[in-house]
Amino acid sequence: MSNKTYVKSLLLIAIITLALGGLLLHIRIHPIVKIPSIVVGYITGVLSIIVVPLLFSFKKTLSYGYVLNGMLAIIGTILMAHFSIAHWPAQTTFASIILETTLPDILILWTIFFIGKALFDLETFGYDPKKPKAGVTYRYPNMGWWLVHLVGLSIVYTLGNLLWR
Amino acid sequence: MNKFRLFTMNWWLLHLVAIAFFFYLGHAVHFM
Repeated sequence: MSNKTYVKSLLLIAIITLALGGLLLHIRIHPIVKIPSIVVGYITGVLSIIVVPLLFSFKKTLSYGYVLNGMLAIIGTILMAHFSIAHWPAQTTFASIILETTLPDILILWTIFFIGKALFDLETFGYDPKKPKAGVTYRYPNMGWWLVHLVGLSIVYTLGNLLWR
Repeated sequence: MNKFRLFTMNWWLLHLVAIAFFFYLGHAVHFM
């Protein structure tokens, strides 16, 4: 096995373990009978455990894995933020926003995104340690592109929530 | 990246579907 294949396998395993942990956590803390909308968390969890690693495994589908992995992180961020707004802490203080909302969960979710990003970048741009980072920040596949999509999709979701009752 | 690829049909279709999906998600998801 080459070092490249080994590192790729480690990153794929990291995605699967983290996604499995997230799915089990959802099943434990939010039973589907109490909150039906939690089914979104179950579906995205299963997609992260099975579909994302499969897409990441082949050169032809690598980009689809990268986009799906990022979009699942965006869906999770938006929905968990919505959950926190619906279950806002009794007193709004700095400590309560940090510890009593889903902010810690959202931060953990983004590690799955960054593992996927590392996997994609290593596969696409190679493992050459001297190769400089290239490309415009706000264009695909760079971080600004994800920020634009996170903000844009949050706005669309919020509009759907406020306008379509 | 080819600039003109941004204006192909697939790009618009994909964004239309994504916007419709997230708009629907905003309507359908309830946490109360």
